[in-house]
Amino acid sequence: MSRTDDPDDGRAGELPPDEAERDAGADAADDPAGGEYATVASREEKVDARSIVTGDARYTADYAGTVPDLAEAAVLRSAVAHGVVTEIDTSRAAEMDGVYAVITPDSPSVPDRPYTSAGQSYPEPSPWDLHVLRRRVRYVGDPIAAVAAEDTATARAAVRRIDVTYEEFDAVFSPEAAMADGAPRLHDADEVENVQPGADYERNVEARVAGEIGDVDAAFEAAAARPDRTVVETEWETPHQSHCVPEPHTTIARRDEDDRYHLVTSTQVPWHVRRQLAHLFDVPVRDVRVTKPRIGAGFGGKQSMVIEPIALALALAADRPVKLEATRTEEFHAMRLRRPSRVTVRSVVTDEGDLEALDVSVVTNSGAYGPHGMTASGAVGKKPLPLYTHTPNVRLEATAVHTNLPVAGAMRGYGAPQGHFAIEGHMDEVARELGLDPIEFRSRNLIGEGDLDVASKILDPGEGHGRRIRSCGLDECIDRGKDAIGWNDVDQPEEDHLHRACGVALAMQGSGIPGDELGAAHIRMNEDGSFVLQTGAVDIGPGADTAMAQIAAEVLGARPADIVVQPSDTDVSPFDYGAYASSTTYVTGQAVKKAAEDAREQLFGVAARLLDEPADALTARGGAVRSERTGESVSLEAIGYESIYGDDVRAQVMGQASHSTDESPPPFGAQFVDVTVDERTGEFEIHDLVFAVDCGVAINPDLAAGQVTGAMHMSYELAVGGGLSFDDEGAPEVCGFRDYGMPRTDDQPPLTPILVETHEPTGPFGAKSVAEVPTNAVPPALSNAIRRAVGVRVSDLPITPEKVNAALDTQ
Amino acid sequence: MELELTLNGDDATLTVARSASLLDALRRAGYTGAKRGCDTGDCGFCTVLVDGDPVKSCVQPAVRTDGAAVETVEGLGSQDDLHPIQAAFVDNAALQCGFCIPGMIMRTKGLLDANPDPDEGEIRESLSGNLCRCTGYERILDAVDDAAGRLARTDDVAADGGRPVPERRSCAGPAPGGEQE
Ligand code: FES
Ligand code: FES
Repeated sequence: MSRTDDPDDGRAGELPPDEAERDAGADAADDPAGGEYATVASREEKVDARSIVTGDARYTADYAGTVPDLAEAAVLRSAVAHGVVTEIDTSRAAEMDGVYAVITPDSPSVPDRPYTSAGQSYPEPSPWDLHVLRRRVRYVGDPIAAVAAEDTATARAAVRRIDVTYEEFDAVFSPEAAMADGAPRLHDADEVENVQPGADYERNVEARVAGEIGDVDAAFEAAAARPDRTVVETEWETPHQSHCVPEPHTTIARRDEDDRYHLVTSTQVPWHVRRQLAHLFDVPVRDVRVTKPRIGAGFGGKQSMVIEPIALALALAADRPVKLEATRTEEFHAMRLRRPSRVTVRSVVTDEGDLEALDVSVVTNSGAYGPHGMTASGAVGKKPLPLYTHTPNVRLEATAVHTNLPVAGAMRGYGAPQGHFAIEGHMDEVARELGLDPIEFRSRNLIGEGDLDVASKILDPGEGHGRRIRSCGLDECIDRGKDAIGWNDVDQPEEDHLHRACGVALAMQGSGIPGDELGAAHIRMNEDGSFVLQTGAVDIGPGADTAMAQIAAEVLGARPADIVVQPSDTDVSPFDYGAYASSTTYVTGQAVKKAAEDAREQLFGVAARLLDEPADALTARGGAVRSERTGESVSLEAIGYESIYGDDVRAQVMGQASHSTDESPPPFGAQFVDVTVDERTGEFEIHDLVFAVDCGVAINPDLAAGQVTGAMHMSYELAVGGGLSFDDEGAPEVCGFRDYGMPRTDDQPPLTPILVETHEPTGPFGAKSVAEVPTNAVPPALSNAIRRAVGVRVSDLPITPEKVNAALDTQ
Repeated sequence: MELELTLNGDDATLTVARSASLLDALRRAGYTGAKRGCDTGDCGFCTVLVDGDPVKSCVQPAVRTDGAAVETVEGLGSQDDLHPIQAAFVDNAALQCGFCIPGMIMRTKGLLDANPDPDEGEIRESLSGNLCRCTGYERILDAVDDAAGRLARTDDVAADGGRPVPERRSCAGPAPGGEQE
């Protein structure tokens, strides 16, 4: 058993369970304030809060007025679900006053090589099956042509004047229909590059992955012959969900004065966008610059590169900067969505309540193209299964299927919400079958600190050993959540037809993608003792910039306000994989911590001269460096001045570091719902939603709690509202917030976040992630609560009074 | 055409297209605080005050505000000197990406001008036309409540010159040419 000296380097070796204890407080030695963090784990004002509330904060569209000669753009999208464009006549559009350029798939500025919109690391685990503009259309909304004009109204008017003739093909809208014999084929395998494992384009299968631990078939066979074994089988279905990103996808693209391509764009993945644009437009990476201004949230929707190539192609065609801003209608059907899924779960359990086998089969609807298809489908099973990692026999099969519907992509939770609905609903059914309390049954089988999580590696070929769980506060999450919701003592309503009950579902996620992330940071000291911190971290709203400032300030003994955090810009900032997979605080945060330590070492060098003390006797805190031995101190300001203007050695203090890791410690959580159901109508009222989360040390508890309530809101929406519908021709019927039914202040039940403190030894100051895990479990917790209240099960989302009522009728 | 209005207390003339919405007019004039989230009156990110009433500026024809008093988030406090409502949003950590916030703040101002001491139900109802995807609303509701308290306290010391409290109008469906609230 070996471990590196610095337990915070994110690479702690394999630890036996009994050693996990020693990690608690490992940071204390490193902590200048002697066990108490000064700025980490405390509430600090969000660095951009004041600019936001005054309206000073600028999002991409707000830069429009600062760009001379800016053109505005609109996109013509396919009106048919499946077919080929036989003719495009753009002449009427092109001759309109104020129109600068009209592009079609045949235009010289439009790249014609395939790519994927998935903003993933290279090589993307997604097929390259998209073209910037297409003649061969596969869903209502596929982009065919685009216009740049003097303003948006003119661009849209011009789009309406483009005449398109289609040859229509038969279309398929469900995975079953798409895989059936004789179904129309969406993609020609020869035209797709970077084809993913298990793809079978003859049957519209984009990818299929499978893995097994133990021997599942043998376990089911043995169970059939034993009276003390129970087999339970359940099936679950989830619909499309929209990110409902507040700020629509927006890009300003131009060729700059050095002939380089510069995009200011609302993206979660500036570096992946840079690489993919370079590939598409066939220029060196260095000739593309991507600047991320303030972002009006992403939730995974802006991990996809959807509009950037169209804006850039238009800018080249019009020879002037172009702004393209998606309409809300486009957001709902032409950007990206959460993939619908059907999940079957079978299990074998002993009379005592020990899980012996779990067999999970997942089919998801990718829609017309395949970004994130294989990985998100696999995650449907892979994310929740480790909760029950002690199960000896586990099998997972996941299939992503193409249909003529809008394109699924990445969305907060990344498959896990679909999977948790199935697994956590199933667990309640098993407990019920055995007559066990749902929490006791789960606890018997639950993952815990020190465990080796084997199940997370189920899809990895070869003998994956899984990850060691070094921090797990799941028991405390359950206890505190139970108390908060009143699990044991909800009062039954007076009326006989009303029934009240609590439901529970557990949840887990990861912190970054193990072995597939990189965060880098650079920090330099100004002469007034302040610092400029550059990271590639992409703050898309929840407060990464603030967390990074707190981490750096903690190490340097500075105030977070003295750390100026620069937004990511590929010309200026160090590299970063981007804001996805709950990685920022965990991965980039560790890079910031290391870079700040590097800077601290240098400023100790200066302080050592000023104080005439050895550097190793110094600590940094409260805006100064002091010698513990003499009690003498020197301010950061004096050190900054000395380093730059001093009489002695002049050298600016500049720290830098990269961080990548094979670790991905899961955050854990327990979701509780308290509901009253009317057995006459199926109507239900939710009294409270409680999510208790173990995210390690919360770098900023206020921001962490805010992420929890926001994610619970999204999870609640998946449980009861939202969803997209399409007519018989595949045309979307939901095009606005009102049709979609996003919860509003007057129909959102109260949300209670609970932060359960643990310490993750591989994370910066004990932190792991919190962004996604609370998105996972309202649907199963609500379904379970209704089941406990009135005995009926709703197993397809959304859960509506009509469905509850229908189930009550057939009871 | 030319639009004469009072913008954040000052006389202003904006040149606008006849079909422009108030949101277009404001943003073209450099007032980018109000955000465009849907252009259909559904999200509230573009909320500003017109003659004291919260209005979704994306569905408000600019021509109809000729002669009106328009207030946008830019007219409240500055970063060094926040308006009490802005301070309440900051102190309650009632924001994440911030895209909904200018609209929320103007909605809050309209509410508190009309009803300085709203209960939770009234706050929830008043804010129901303004969406937020990031926060789950909890902190925002707290901030509005807190802002009411702060304004009550500042009113004790310095009233703002006794601007008449506008009547709250009820929403009986969209008025011709745009939504009115
Ligand atoms: S932009 Fe959505 S209501 Fe005005
Ligand atoms: S803070 Fe992002 S939409 Fe409200």
